Amino acid sequence: MPQNFLEKMLKPGQRGRLRWVLFGIAVLFLITAYIDIIGFKNPIANALDTGLSAIPVVSNLNIFPKLEKNISDNSSRLVWRNIKQIELSSYGLPFRLGLDLLGGAQLTYDADLSQISLAGKNDALAGAKDVIERRVNALGVSEPIVQTSLSGDKPRISVELAGVYDINSAIKMIGETPLLEFKEENPQAQQLTLEQQKQLDDMNLAVRKQAVDILQQIKNSGDFIALAKQYSEDPGSKDNGGLYEGVAKGQFVTEFDDVAFNKLKVGEVYSDLVKTTFGYHIIKLEGEQGTGDSRTVNVRHILFKTKTSADLGIAQEPEWINTKLSGKNLKKASVEYDQTALVPQVSLEFDNEGAQLFADITTRNVGKPVAIFLDGVAISIPKVNEAILGGQAVIQGNFTQDEAKKLAQRLNAGALPVPVKLVSQTTVGATLGQEAVQKSLFAGFLGLLAVALFMICFYRLPGLLSVIALLIYTVISLALFKVIHVTMTLAGITGFILSIGMAVDANILIFERLKEELRAGKDLMRAIDDGFGRAWTSIRDSNFSSLITCAVLFWFGSSIIRGFAFTLALGIAVSMFSAIIISRQLLLLVAKWKWAQNKWLYGVKKKI
Amino acid sequence: MKLQIIKNRKYYYLVSGLLFVVSVLAIIAWGLKPGLDFTGGSLLELTFTENRPQTAEIQKATESLSLGEVIVQPSGDKNIILKFQNVNEEQHQQILQAIENNFPGQARELRFESIGPVIGQELQKKAWMAIGVASLGIILYIAFAFRKVSKPVASWKYGVSAILALIHDIVIVIGLFAILGHFAGIEVDGLFITALLTIMGFSVHDTIVVFDRTRENLGKFYTGKFDEVVNDSVNQTLVRSINTSLTVLLVLLCLYLFGGVSTKNFTLALLVGIFVGTYSSIFVASCLIVDWNIWDKKLKK
Repeated sequence: MPQNFLEKMLKPGQRGRLRWVLFGIAVLFLITAYIDIIGFKNPIANALDTGLSAIPVVSNLNIFPKLEKNISDNSSRLVWRNIKQIELSSYGLPFRLGLDLLGGAQLTYDADLSQISLAGKNDALAGAKDVIERRVNALGVSEPIVQTSLSGDKPRISVELAGVYDINSAIKMIGETPLLEFKEENPQAQQLTLEQQKQLDDMNLAVRKQAVDILQQIKNSGDFIALAKQYSEDPGSKDNGGLYEGVAKGQFVTEFDDVAFNKLKVGEVYSDLVKTTFGYHIIKLEGEQGTGDSRTVNVRHILFKTKTSADLGIAQEPEWINTKLSGKNLKKASVEYDQTALVPQVSLEFDNEGAQLFADITTRNVGKPVAIFLDGVAISIPKVNEAILGGQAVIQGNFTQDEAKKLAQRLNAGALPVPVKLVSQTTVGATLGQEAVQKSLFAGFLGLLAVALFMICFYRLPGLLSVIALLIYTVISLALFKVIHVTMTLAGITGFILSIGMAVDANILIFERLKEELRAGKDLMRAIDDGFGRAWTSIRDSNFSSLITCAVLFWFGSSIIRGFAFTLALGIAVSMFSAIIISRQLLLLVAKWKWAQNKWLYGVKKKI
Repeated sequence: MKLQIIKNRKYYYLVSGLLFVVSVLAIIAWGLKPGLDFTGGSLLELTFTENRPQTAEIQKATESLSLGEVIVQPSGDKNIILKFQNVNEEQHQQILQAIENNFPGQARELRFESIGPVIGQELQKKAWMAIGVASLGIILYIAFAFRKVSKPVASWKYGVSAILALIHDIVIVIGLFAILGHFAGIEVDGLFITALLTIMGFSVHDTIVVFDRTRENLGKFYTGKFDEVVNDSVNQTLVRSINTSLTVLLVLLCLYLFGGVSTKNFTLALLVGIFVGTYSSIFVASCLIVDWNIWDKKLKK
């Protein structure tokens, strides 16, 4: 007896096979339904949770695996918990919701690759993307999406920040990413001879020394106004003692503003030299008016201009060309103190690729200067004494300690290799999205109901079976959306609901064929087989054309349109599967039952 | 009961022709109203918790910011939409600040879009290309699927007939939106193009079913009367075509009536497009292929 039983199980006849297939479908349904329910708050998950927790055996067993992250060393390990310690609604995969449903921002940046050689463009763009990604991650956004596209000659970086509350800071943060470039001398450009270069360096050292001197004099109660008239190189103010009255924030450069607005009390002279692109300033706050955003100040300053090759009487040329080394290779920046002069400087540590590049650059340029550009301005132009193989560089920009610390901080948060500009921005508030989802889901549910009613009225028994198949189809599709991590946007939900309407189509095709075969006098089983067989070519061809347009939409569209195309395509594929396999099996099963033999149930009128 | 579709084709040509001509005229006269996606610019939607201010008040509030032309439209019961040129984030914050200064604590930002002009141009180009590529893909696919049916009408002719029916559908939908754009101010955006492409896919889907049946019947019993075979085929697939479209239209109708506001126009385009698409598959595509056959025969004589 057991022998026969085993045989029946493993080598089933036609009826047995049918049972196995149906069993498989039932299992598939249960698994996908489970995947659908867990991972987000819904009444079924809550009910399941309470129910399962109440069963003593289940609630005490540690059989639910959970991946736990160790924050200190960023490792994850698998632990086993019991159901009381896990909430089903937080367990497992959530639906991934798009921007228009979660609320958030989508930003598109143009990357300026014009200075990069053709071979390095992909690298540079990828580097910029990495840096922006790092910055965005630092905002604590859950699952930010940063993508690049090199369409034609327009390199773009698009950033999607879902669920971000303060878009303004996000944009500001990305916008404040420093641009760090390493450039070497342009062999085409007019080169300063060593002589000239030394001259320039000496001149600037002298300028700084003089500035330091004057600052000291002022600290020893020197007369600011007189010294300004004598030494300041700012033609706009020197004659009235370097005074500017009623200055609002933003009128002068940032470094100047920072000191004048934030760091001085009225009557105070800033204890350090303030370096800007113009040179060195000594700044004194004379007075202030107003408060908050409308605050203005009266400030005196003495300017000591730094010298450039123009001062040597040499024509300016684009002296520098970009090397491959840039901010993306920066591993770490820190503040150090130069041994001899006890001046703060910023030391840079490069990654492996960067170290190699830097070694190449320094080898190429021994005895020549190399420029470090920050935000488009050269902040340091050191001369290379020897090839540096250790992957470490130092920026000596005549910094104060504060400046050095700030710079190191900015660089550590990520430095861009190429400049980027914001070209488009979309912000959606979260409430708009939630309303939209609720409405659409409700409408979709109504639609599903209407279709079900229609199918049952028109096609009777097969109609009922197709509705069951449709339900299974919905459950499977939703589970697939979760597993594949499809981003559900509003258009995507519409696409899914549309595909439900179209899913019925294949069923209708088959049932119409079925009616014809039955009318032609075939018996039920033959009619079913023939009906399915003949309908297949029609289904295949017509769905294929829809899939072609989905493919075109996918290529053409923004992420929202892609969501629609993908859900529609997935829906069509799963619906073909559900119609041909699930409907068929259900029909074959039911057709064997005695009460289902009446042809009326299949919509065929008995002809007299 | 058999419908005499082929015999009565002049009536159907008349209806189609009328709709087609009206649509073309509408498109030439008014064109489509392009939305933000295509023109570039900014859109700011605010919701007011208490009394919604008059549009003139909002205009005044933003005057000092030198934004150029600002269009202010009320939307729904509580919302206001502002449209203006492309701005950067700083200006965006300034605008919000100005609103806050004038109507403290009452306004909340629902959404904000700012699209540079270059992106708008790109989208236009891409839209044309997408429609072109999709059409080509469909023609090729139909030619391939129908390659074995050469008698009495060559297989590629099926493809072209399908595309002609398709063009008829798309033009009518575009015409409708040109009319709506002119009278109701409805704008077209990326989603509209998506709807057009979806309609293309679906309409061909329908047409193929009819042609597929024709192909099968030609294989089985070709008595030499092409138009009768086609007529029979259409009748046989009539119920099926209508039912399929009916289910999709039911779903779309529910979405249009009860669904979210932002996809209303999208759903409308789909509704009209699929309805017209079904009509064209049954009444237009089949007639075209019959007439083509007749025309061919006349040429041969």
